[in-house]
Amino acid sequence: MNQPSLLSSLHPATEPDTLDSTDRAKIDASTRLPVLLFFGSAIFWLLLGSFLGLLSAWKMTNPWLLDSMGWLTFGRLRPAHLNAVAYGWAAPAAIGVGLWLTARLCRIPLLHSKLLVSAAIIWNLGILVGICGILIGDGRSIEWLEFPAYSTPILFVSYALIGIWTIIMFRFRKPGHIYVSQWYLFAAFLWFPWLYATANILLVWQPVQGPAQGAINWWYAHNVLGLWFTPIGLASAYYFIPKVIGRPIHSYYLSILGFWSLALFYSWNGLHHLIGGPFPAWLISASVVASLMMFIPVITTAINHHMTMQGHFEALKWSPTLRFTVFGAVAYTVVSLQGSSMAIPSLNTITHFTDYTIGHAHLGLYAFFTMMMFGAMYYIVPRLVGWEWPSASMIRWHFWLSAVGIILMVSALTLGGLLQGLALYDVKSTFRSSLEFATPFRYLRGVSGFVLMAGQIIFAILFIQMLLKLGTPKKGPALLGKPDDATV
Amino acid sequence: MTAGMILLVVGLVFVTGTGLVGFYWAAKSGQFSNLSDGAASIFDSEEPEGTPTDRFPSPKRS
Repeated sequence: MNQPSLLSSLHPATEPDTLDSTDRAKIDASTRLPVLLFFGSAIFWLLLGSFLGLLSAWKMTNPWLLDSMGWLTFGRLRPAHLNAVAYGWAAPAAIGVGLWLTARLCRIPLLHSKLLVSAAIIWNLGILVGICGILIGDGRSIEWLEFPAYSTPILFVSYALIGIWTIIMFRFRKPGHIYVSQWYLFAAFLWFPWLYATANILLVWQPVQGPAQGAINWWYAHNVLGLWFTPIGLASAYYFIPKVIGRPIHSYYLSILGFWSLALFYSWNGLHHLIGGPFPAWLISASVVASLMMFIPVITTAINHHMTMQGHFEALKWSPTLRFTVFGAVAYTVVSLQGSSMAIPSLNTITHFTDYTIGHAHLGLYAFFTMMMFGAMYYIVPRLVGWEWPSASMIRWHFWLSAVGIILMVSALTLGGLLQGLALYDVKSTFRSSLEFATPFRYLRGVSGFVLMAGQIIFAILFIQMLLKLGTPKKGPALLGKPDDATV
Repeated sequence: MTAGMILLVVGLVFVTGTGLVGFYWAAKSGQFSNLSDGAASIFDSEEPEGTPTDRFPSPKRS
């Protein structure tokens, strides 16, 4: 395989059409090292981040827990949890899935594997420095940007390398149609470095003053979800649902409409976090309107995924990928419609500053995004290592523990949050009673964390078994056996 | 104007610009026409339409 060097890839005079045509198995194999490196480190941070989350959840109900350890106080634990799962787990999982999908959709072997391997190492170094920084007390009090200033440039360098790689891959792609997943991926890979750099310039490098900080903060924090995690989750759904069941997407037109309307409306949404805050009314109103306009991309996506699945729901019995992906797709619809409704000021008055928002965040990042990534990994990893997953029952346990755990967590936080919000709103209730309403639900949330972690540990064991090739050699080029002899 | 502000304006123009140019290019190069072929572009002779490509591993090890 005659791969161009990094310099010639970047040189404008290079003819892009120099690569030999290769089959799908070779393309998959070419992505092995960087993708497995991103997946492996992501799973490590998922376990650690969830453990930190579990500890902070228990501190909410048992404040004396580990109270002698300064570095594990709630104010450090909670941001460490958020950053470990968001930047340690979700982002590398997204990058891994993105790399694999990009290579497949460009129909060329992955170029510049070394560039990506260095990006993976630098990224993990950045996360390690950042998490330690938060725990020793260097964290910044900016939500979603708590990493200390000395760790963010490391992350940015890694990220920029991946952005450059995406452009190179796009340039060398085989001619033909650009599938909708690739639009999402390409956009996400270019949007995130811009968001990250802009937020860091305005909040850290040359901080803006006063309330403007809040506006920038939430512009960034919401766009991380909407312009980075959401597009990659949807790219994954738009590829795996049709691919697994062997049927093209129901309405390709709607999928394109969904992409461009997301691109148009999403970046306005962030300010709905600041309803009631000291901001010009037009700024908040524009954000509320844009949040409701999100109904367009969300409903087009929901209709599309549902209609593609129509008549193929029995496939959920035999495909692990589909089970996780469809769970994620349904959660996407629910979380997005809930998010839009939370931007309506009269509802926001009740739910703001309560556990309801925390429930919404977990519905988005776990029930939608994390489940989507699990589904993608169940499809990708066997094709990289050439082995079947060692145990079907462990996959089922992983699915049911994750599904039950996250439904329990979101229900507990949503219900507890509503009671808490109504009590806060009621002039006759004391502040203390609003907290007492939330307490039993917070215990339930702590329990749900254990259930989720149990599922994650099963997945980590499965992943390690795959790396050590403890399964059965994979039969055939793509199919993991015939669906008709599958057991449920 | 500080260096940070210049970077921000350049970034904003760049991101909006790539979006507009991308949309224009996609429309011109026929990405929005022939949608049924586009939807089928993830299938080929090796993994044709109608063939499922994933399942639970079989309970017995061969």
